[in-house]
Amino acid sequence: MTLAAHESPPARTDLVGGRDDAEPTASGTSSVPGPRGPGREGRRVGSTRRSDLWTLSAEGLARLGRPVLWLSIVALILAPSACFLVLAVSPRLFGQGSAWFTLSYLRAVLTGGTATALVNSVWVSCAAAALGLAVGFPIAWLASRTDLPGRRVVAGAMWFVLLLPSWLPAIGWQRLVQPDGVMYRIGLDLPVVTHLVMGPVGVVLLLGMRCVPFTYLAVTAALAGLGQEFEDAARVHGATRTGAIRLVAPILAPAITSALAIGFAETVSDFGVASTLAYSSHFPLATYQLYADVNGFPPSFSGAAAIGWLLVASVAVPLAFQARALRGRSYAVLSGRTRPVVRRELRPRAKLGAVAFVALFYGAALGVPGFGALSSSLLADFGASFRLTLVNYRLVFASSGLSGPLERSLAYGAITASVTVVGGFVFATMLARKRTATTKILDFLLLAAVALPSVVFAAGYIFAYNLPFLSRMGIDIYQTVTLLVLGYVASSLPTNARVLVGAVSQVQRSLHEAGRAHGAGSVRAWARGVFPVLSRPLTMAWLLTFTGIFLELPISQLLYAPGSPPLSVAIQDNLGNYHFGTGMAQAVVAVLFALVAVGVVLGGYRLLAPKGWRRIGGGAHG
Amino acid sequence: MTKVAYGSTRPRRPRLVPQVAALSAAGALAATLGATAGVASASSVHRSSGRSKVVPLVVYSAQGYDKLATEDFSKKYHIPVQLDDNSTGPLLTQIEASKNNPKWGLLWVDGATAFAGLDTQHLLLRGYEPRVSWNSLGLQALPKDKSYVPTGVTLAGAMAYDAAKVPNPPSSWADLLAAKWKGQIGTNDPSQSGPTYPFVAGMMNDLGGIGAGETFFSDLKANGLVVNPTNGPTLAALASGQINIALVQSSAAVGATFSDKNLKVRYLDPVTILPSAIGIDAKAPKQEQVEAEEFASYVLSPAGQKVMQTGDPTGDSLYYPVLNGIAPRKALPPLTGVKTQNIDPYVWGPKENTINAWFDQSIVQ
Repeated sequence: MTLAAHESPPARTDLVGGRDDAEPTASGTSSVPGPRGPGREGRRVGSTRRSDLWTLSAEGLARLGRPVLWLSIVALILAPSACFLVLAVSPRLFGQGSAWFTLSYLRAVLTGGTATALVNSVWVSCAAAALGLAVGFPIAWLASRTDLPGRRVVAGAMWFVLLLPSWLPAIGWQRLVQPDGVMYRIGLDLPVVTHLVMGPVGVVLLLGMRCVPFTYLAVTAALAGLGQEFEDAARVHGATRTGAIRLVAPILAPAITSALAIGFAETVSDFGVASTLAYSSHFPLATYQLYADVNGFPPSFSGAAAIGWLLVASVAVPLAFQARALRGRSYAVLSGRTRPVVRRELRPRAKLGAVAFVALFYGAALGVPGFGALSSSLLADFGASFRLTLVNYRLVFASSGLSGPLERSLAYGAITASVTVVGGFVFATMLARKRTATTKILDFLLLAAVALPSVVFAAGYIFAYNLPFLSRMGIDIYQTVTLLVLGYVASSLPTNARVLVGAVSQVQRSLHEAGRAHGAGSVRAWARGVFPVLSRPLTMAWLLTFTGIFLELPISQLLYAPGSPPLSVAIQDNLGNYHFGTGMAQAVVAVLFALVAVGVVLGGYRLLAPKGWRRIGGGAHG
Repeated sequence: MTKVAYGSTRPRRPRLVPQVAALSAAGALAATLGATAGVASASSVHRSSGRSKVVPLVVYSAQGYDKLATEDFSKKYHIPVQLDDNSTGPLLTQIEASKNNPKWGLLWVDGATAFAGLDTQHLLLRGYEPRVSWNSLGLQALPKDKSYVPTGVTLAGAMAYDAAKVPNPPSSWADLLAAKWKGQIGTNDPSQSGPTYPFVAGMMNDLGGIGAGETFFSDLKANGLVVNPTNGPTLAALASGQINIALVQSSAAVGATFSDKNLKVRYLDPVTILPSAIGIDAKAPKQEQVEAEEFASYVLSPAGQKVMQTGDPTGDSLYYPVLNGIAPRKALPPLTGVKTQNIDPYVWGPKENTINAWFDQSIVQ
């Protein structure tokens, strides 16, 4: 056992993974001492054995790591997606048509209305991702690096933005500006605003706001690991404040490109805005066409799959941009010597401008949809008057069917987030390493998976895991909670990994190696040296998944176990059965519950995490 | 228990791999959570006297009263029910995606065209008809091959209007094209609203064909037709004054009159009937098929009809019964003097996607 530990390769294969092109460690060597390094002589034998066992198991895990990862990707993401996408060329494979091979569906999506919708989706996604960065980056910077008043509220409110399903802001804006909407009822006769919002501009605006939290999370995580030393160095060499920012900003390139890539992929696969504001504005998007194909009768899975292929292909746009931006550079800046950041004091005028900018964003992202949801839930007569009533809330709380779905969604969200954050971290570690063919493939697969609408995953899971031969073998997991949770994990994993890439790519290998040099096993060195600095991004990634799953609809609708509906299905049931007000009241209550859950997690981190963890992960003093 | 619990049918794992094990553990935990939270569980499976061992009946339903109905059925017949309560679209998507290995036992949704489509693919059990006394609506809705069982009828394209603003509403379909109604009429998109396709197809059927129907809707569009996705937004547009006349499903229109006393409902001749119906999975185990037949019989019994008429008082309960001896709820306008038509679902069902695509391209855009 000891021999095996000695013979095992050094940290190159550890789970966290140093970069293949790692720099020399703090001690000036690029190799890692074995577990019997200096300082271990005086230890008791039992302790040594335990440590060796740790090391052995860590190395064993490391050896298993790569095949297991690929197995997971194949089982969770590739197989279900492939089972769905193959229908575009071979509908007969799953009994969805007579042709074993045809290109007619792919040809069809390249013509007419679907082609227009695809073009719209691509350019809107590019614009929305750029808008998300343009708004999200300054907010992240202001909240992390300056004395912006109310900066503690900014982070919490960003979770609120993330929690809202995208159709909710769309309905809120629509209620405000549509002909005979609230704007006109209070005497603001502004058809120009109606024309602007109920069109491509409004669609980009809404989807762009949807991208802001992703940018915010990626950039704040990266800023947290970016010490003061870089800005100080720039200032010492005579750079102005703007010049210092110009120097530091490129160090955040992985986070920025990640944010752009996620923004693009999330937008191109969004259905909430496509089916509400874009639909009402007669501005077709590809996801609407895809859902129409899937939900029509009989459903055209082959037509939907053909659109899915093109959505997958579209992620080449952000990937090409990312590859160009990051080529050949290293972004590992977070080490044991990272210096805490001192918050900048904004001048009064700048402070006022910053507060107005942040307030404007939250007004648009939360105020308007909040108004839409609340007004819908408080009006009992479809909005015929401004008479407010709590009847919908009374119905929600009187209903015996609320608590079960709520508890289930909380549990599903927590389980999915816990599994996903582990997988997402491992994938992010691989992506943060030196670019190889493997990581490029992984990168493409993960981003392509983000770009696939959830309904593709859900239908793909039915095709892949409900095959008759599997049932004959006793593997019968369709319509069980198991498959639902696996579907949730598969849909969350790519985004989660993407969000973590920015933070993980900053971690220097020396953090882990320092632990090894002081005699800790691989796992222990990671737990004591690396985990503390990543604890905050990991917590954020957990919350990101939790909030995404809590009100997730397409996968829930197709895969939930009969008799155990999640919350989103219960809400949709009300919205679809003419109980619009009750459904909206249920949605409001659900969002509040989720916010409480987010508050508990963030509060728990603040209370329970050691001060040092929060200092390193928190990014700034003050 | 859920139909298949992870612990009892564990997939073969060639070797222990940590991530897969972790996922499996999470899945198993989730399965346990789900199973304990479910309506029906293994412990609730009873052996009914004089029958084979009962199996859980998997009900796919989009009806507002389905939860109460399945609970009442379970209590009375001692048959556990697993309810997939969903919108019609996802339910049909599930059925089509899993048709090589179906997991459902009974489908209960609105719209005969969907059932006709499933029947054409041989996915429905044929030849079952409960022993009941059908009224004229029931007889109209009953298919020749008895592949599905009508349980009630609503009307597609009912006209809801604001009586305060429209004292003299249109009295025929042709009236809707008059200039005085320009920009005042709204309806739903048949691609998003299941009950709207029978309305569109019904108009085409009545006017003599698809071409004549397309002309009618194009003329409506030229007269400022406002198209919203579903009943809710269209009725909201009516309530807010954006439109003054809404063409929606009758149950939604009547339900809206409860909260907005200015709204009235009127049926223009002919109005198309939209049956709610039950279909049984042709590939389900024999015992489950028997239980599904018992469920259909229960739904058409006085007890079942009572649950249907009270379970969703402002929504799906507002239907016209298909049985003699069962009166519609008082809130429903009488059908006396109203000409109804039943479109042949086997003729119009296969045209649904084509017509919906035309509607989206030509009327919605």
